Amino acid sequence: MSLKKQEYLSNVLSTHRMSHVEELVNKFKAKRDEVKTTLQDKYGSDIYSPFDSGSFKKHTAINIKFDLDIVVPFKRNSFDTLEKMFDDLYEYLEAEFGDVAEVRKQKVSIGLLFKTDDDGDDVNLDVVPGREFNQDQYSEDRKLNLHLRNNTIFTSDSTYIQTNIQEQIEHINGKSDERMVIRLLKIWKHYNNEDFKSFLIELITIKAFKKDDISGNLWEKLEGVMNYIKENVIKEDFKLKDPGNSNNNVMDTLDNAERTNLSNRMETLIDRINNNAQNIKSYFPLNDDFEDEESSSEGYGIKIGSGIASTPPSTERFG
Amino acid sequence: MANRIDIIDKTISKLPFVKVLNTLEQDEFSIKGNVEIDFEKLNKPLSFSFEISEIYPFRHYDSESIKFKNVDLIKYGHVMGDGSICIHTSHNINLKKKLTIDFHSLKNWILKYYISNEDDDNYEHIICNETSFKGCHYSYMFTDVEHTFSKDDFGEVSLFQLENGIYKKEGITNYIIQKFDLKNKTQIECNWSEIYNRSLRTHTGVFYFCENPPAVHGRFAFQNWENLDGYLSEDFINHLQRFEKQNLKKFRGKAFPLFLGYKTIGNDIHWQVIILEIGDFPIKRTPKREGRRKTGDFKYSIKSGKIIWGITNNSSYKYFFGRGAFSKSLTEKKILIIGVGALGSMVAKTLTRCGCKNINVADYDIKKPENICRSEYLFNLGVNDKSEEMVRILTAISPFVEAKVANNDYFQTIIKMLYDKKGIKEQFIRDLNKNDLVIDCTTDDDLMYILDSLDLDCDSINLSITNHSKELVCGFNNNIYSFVKNQFDNVLDNDTKDLYNPTGCWDPTFKASYNDISLLVQMALRHINIVYSDGIRPNNFVIKQDDKFPSNLIIEEY
Repeated sequence: MSLKKQEYLSNVLSTHRMSHVEELVNKFKAKRDEVKTTLQDKYGSDIYSPFDSGSFKKHTAINIKFDLDIVVPFKRNSFDTLEKMFDDLYEYLEAEFGDVAEVRKQKVSIGLLFKTDDDGDDVNLDVVPGREFNQDQYSEDRKLNLHLRNNTIFTSDSTYIQTNIQEQIEHINGKSDERMVIRLLKIWKHYNNEDFKSFLIELITIKAFKKDDISGNLWEKLEGVMNYIKENVIKEDFKLKDPGNSNNNVMDTLDNAERTNLSNRMETLIDRINNNAQNIKSYFPLNDDFEDEESSSEGYGIKIGSGIASTPPSTERFG
Repeated sequence: MANRIDIIDKTISKLPFVKVLNTLEQDEFSIKGNVEIDFEKLNKPLSFSFEISEIYPFRHYDSESIKFKNVDLIKYGHVMGDGSICIHTSHNINLKKKLTIDFHSLKNWILKYYISNEDDDNYEHIICNETSFKGCHYSYMFTDVEHTFSKDDFGEVSLFQLENGIYKKEGITNYIIQKFDLKNKTQIECNWSEIYNRSLRTHTGVFYFCENPPAVHGRFAFQNWENLDGYLSEDFINHLQRFEKQNLKKFRGKAFPLFLGYKTIGNDIHWQVIILEIGDFPIKRTPKREGRRKTGDFKYSIKSGKIIWGITNNSSYKYFFGRGAFSKSLTEKKILIIGVGALGSMVAKTLTRCGCKNINVADYDIKKPENICRSEYLFNLGVNDKSEEMVRILTAISPFVEAKVANNDYFQTIIKMLYDKKGIKEQFIRDLNKNDLVIDCTTDDDLMYILDSLDLDCDSINLSITNHSKELVCGFNNNIYSFVKNQFDNVLDNDTKDLYNPTGCWDPTFKASYNDISLLVQMALRHINIVYSDGIRPNNFVIKQDDKFPSNLIIEEY
């Protein structure tokens, strides 16, 4: 039975929907709200209201791996330096949650990895501290300076990034086609242990839709984006502007070898799938935990082992 | 048609740097003559006798069938003990052209080794006339040690006997040197794998480190014991004498090895062996005197006698794998192979032959005669646990591989029962991560799923083939379960109707010959080695036949 790629991909997306893990998401949200409340109590008038960000907020999350981001906008005069702001927040979170979570410093955020609960669930949150550019200006421009630790993100050796996280969230707002492709590429990235940053996938997908004629069914859109990536990331002058700060070129996070690798990966992926549609399943697997059994066994050509007792199924491996 | 001797004479005479000194002579098997070589860079002409054998211009075994000799040149490089110049020249079947080539080679030798007196970077063994002792040859292999020997160090050598064999139509007894026991009780273990080092010693020898080769011009091994006078310390000769005395009753007439060590290039050392006969050591004793009175003590020294050189080979890792090995980034890995059937046994053996140093194998299955035709097992070892026999085979191949049997039940029952149990799962992960690379050749889908879900830090490879060995599927580090399953479930056309049904219990198996399978395995391992040596991202891949030319195999990376 021939595989309808668009239908298959649609099923991939539905098996990776966040709604399948609603209970878990509620645990995340509860923890997030708890952390937000404690931060407001601790820092009071030194901060503006913490807000949600990350893939969950952008509706690009997938249920196999996600976290919730909380952005904490500090006022300009709250700390002398961004590093002091970062360290103070870290020390506070460590003191407050250190007995129930692993608190760790990350590149621009502080990670809270709560201990596995009785259901075996792990909740993790990323808290991103940022400081407004000028005193009392944040309410108007939403611009923040983030402290950058062990800079491996950008090729410059800066210790901070200027950005506007609200703008980043806005950038993807209402772009449902783009979001579907982003989620598929994140599924590919997760299962195949690809190193590329989700933010880069997000921006390049949006740019592909903007610059190229990306249309047709879900597979055709995905293929169009992958082709765009394949052809463009190896161009020296190809840029991906951070919507939060046009001076940040997110392509700078990749060196030449990584750009070539990304392009090659896209090329291989497209070739293999076009050569045999069944290969799509290796790159974009269904989430078995939420697979609709009826559609998986018949609708997508998965072979059920032979019922003849004397013959091994054609799925038998040898060695 | 001109006869052969005239053609040779005319051809040589035409060469501008050659002067034929006398009329060429022909005997039953060769043509002989004398020439003088002279050209601008030579201060004075050099004379050579030459001999051209009947088979010329073809080669004779590994040597040219033309010989140039001058015994006065023996101290120069690439001159044999009888004064013949060692030249390696180009093949040519035309007599005149071959003569021209060979005389030019002689001229090149003069330029390089006589005029420029060049030394080669590579070490050449001293030339020993290795002979048998009482109709048997004795051969000893040695390897590196973590010790720097000093001049005049001596002591005993522990030997372990390998298989006996035939060497140049005579018997040969083979040994490895296990360790050196210095006189001051320091024990120096050789860098063999544990099984060779820990086996009980079977024989003993003595060693003496003389620093410089026991040879004339550094190249021709001494022929007579008298030449060694002055090389060996008095202390050592006394030791040798005592040793003989202690063992005389029990071992009279037996062969006994004396190893002489010396430095070659860099920090390398080489050992040459002399075979002594217990009861006939070339040691003479002279009474010590005070004035004219004998003290009752003796002075021991070397006496004249022909040296019997035995055979030694430097079998250190560098030389053992010098001709070809996998990249260090693969050979240094601690590797676990689960499943050593057709595929797994070929993987294990290839990795061993390519220099891998640490391989554990696990398999619950038994090797039977019908397994042998398409695996690496041996008939003469009979019926065995596959894992046990594989370890024997691997250690028989390489003295540098630490090969052991892993817990065979671990992957069949224990891990399957407990892999998702909290606490135990983490222990499995820790255990498996003690390896650097886990290669699963079991074709067990359950195990593949479990290994994939453990999300190991170490590298992970899964290998399996389709019936008739049409394709090999390799999951390599990422998304292995999903990729491999999808290939077999949906992508590849795996014919499972045409299977081999052995007699007896129902147990159909795939059809494929050793050649079919090993071709794919070798190609897969070659690719894996490239991934490691070049440090490139490992991707899953399939090896398949080219649609147009089925004998051509292609690798499709995913």
